Amino acid sequence: MSSLKEILTRRPVSATIRLTVPAGAARPAPPVGPALGQYRLNLMAFCKDFNARTQKYKPDTPMAVTITAYKDNTFEFTVKSPSVTWYLKKAAGIELGSGRPGHVVASSVTLKHIYEIAKAVSKNVNVMLLDFVDGIS
Amino acid sequence: MRGTHFFKHLSFISSWRISSQPRRLIHGVFPSPLSQRRLSSVFRNFSTSSSLPTTHSLTSPYFSVRISCPKDSADMLSEALLCFGASSTSMDEQGSDEGNDKICIDSIFSDRQDVDVCISHAADSVGLKELPSYEVRVGEQYDWIKKTQESFCPVEVTEGLWIVPEWRTPPDAHATNIILNPGFAFGTGEHPTTKLCLLLLHGLIKGGERFLDYGTGSGILAIAALKFGAASSVGIDVDPQAITAATQNAALNKISPNKMQLTLVPPDGRTHEVVEGQSPNSMGVTTESESFDIVIANILLNPLLDLADDIVSHAKPGAVVAVSGIISEQVPYIMERYSPLLESISVTEIDDWACVCGTKRRGLTVN
Repeated sequence: MSSLKEILTRRPVSATIRLTVPAGAARPAPPVGPALGQYRLNLMAFCKDFNARTQKYKPDTPMAVTITAYKDNTFEFTVKSPSVTWYLKKAAGIELGSGRPGHVVASSVTLKHIYEIAKAVSKNVNVMLLDFVDGIS
Repeated sequence: MRGTHFFKHLSFISSWRISSQPRRLIHGVFPSPLSQRRLSSVFRNFSTSSSLPTTHSLTSPYFSVRISCPKDSADMLSEALLCFGASSTSMDEQGSDEGNDKICIDSIFSDRQDVDVCISHAADSVGLKELPSYEVRVGEQYDWIKKTQESFCPVEVTEGLWIVPEWRTPPDAHATNIILNPGFAFGTGEHPTTKLCLLLLHGLIKGGERFLDYGTGSGILAIAALKFGAASSVGIDVDPQAITAATQNAALNKISPNKMQLTLVPPDGRTHEVVEGQSPNSMGVTTESESFDIVIANILLNPLLDLADDIVSHAKPGAVVAVSGIISEQVPYIMERYSPLLESISVTEIDDWACVCGTKRRGLTVN
């Protein structure tokens, strides 16, 4: 729990930014550029930081990043494992979901897939350990 | 468009931002090569669309959509938008005294066609009963690029050594000033790892050394080495944008090409082969084995581990090799990989970043 003093001196937040960035491959270009540049955040610092901290993930895995931008142009960010959608698409071996959800079936996944995905997302497990991420039949 | 009944709440405003630059961006059409040459100096370090997928071209507009939605669904809607195709979302922080129960989400899309479908799917998936109202604006890459540049200020790395963006005046004309326009390459001087490497170079160089900047980025270390008195610098990188940026920064600092050679190399670490650089005047550059007095690689953990042998192979026996771009918790991996290759290893740190430095062991077999 924060002390009263911490609450009083907490930096004022200007915005919360969410985006998806491939692990180890952030560049000061779209999508990072427009999203962070608008708030005058230091793009190079974010890219270097993000790339260094995502070295342990399989390269180019889309990571869900949440950035808290403060009014003084500083920022903090957290990195989470890929969205459930990404896992499902990988497991099902498809790029796009059904064009008509509820009417047309795009693909299917096994119960084991769902179990593994749920485990990974709940523990933020290192995606390199997941077998089906690599080659999908 | 399918499902036109979804759009009864749609309010659509699209506006053109009149740019003061000589070029005009045509929606959906990429500038011809001729008009790209007329891009102002602000852009000259930014590569053309050839090295990027078309949806992320630096010269095509992007689409900024402002969506109004109830406060308590905002977080979920933001995440759903990302799942359904938005490049990013942002929410400005609201004061707690605002009685409004609605909040605005600003979302960026690279493709105009994705916007309507994405918003309707996202709203559906979080259980919103009606489609939120939204407006679409065209944003130009120039907007955020300009804002980013405005945030670069001169940085004093150590007493008498400044890194100054090209568009600002050096605060101290008599100091050692490295003028930079980093473009899309890394290395503005502000980052702790750049500082660590610059301080190391500053302390090491006595005059006449041959320096290799392995992963040169903007060329900042290669340029700094020459300013400190090195005889020559070689900068290599796997990214063509880095070589472009470094070449132009060398010119900004009035460094002649025979003092600083810049070469694009393949990512697999075969840097010893003769490779031609990107500029029309390049000559074949050989990075020979064991010919450098100082080698610095300020990149990332994984390439540092994969390319350790190649990095160290360029150093003369007993020469200094330093690696950075790593966070403190990654230092043990570097130590494990580099201990067989280097001796007298020391670690310097600023904040959570580290630089590992040692001298090349004599008697190592060179592949």
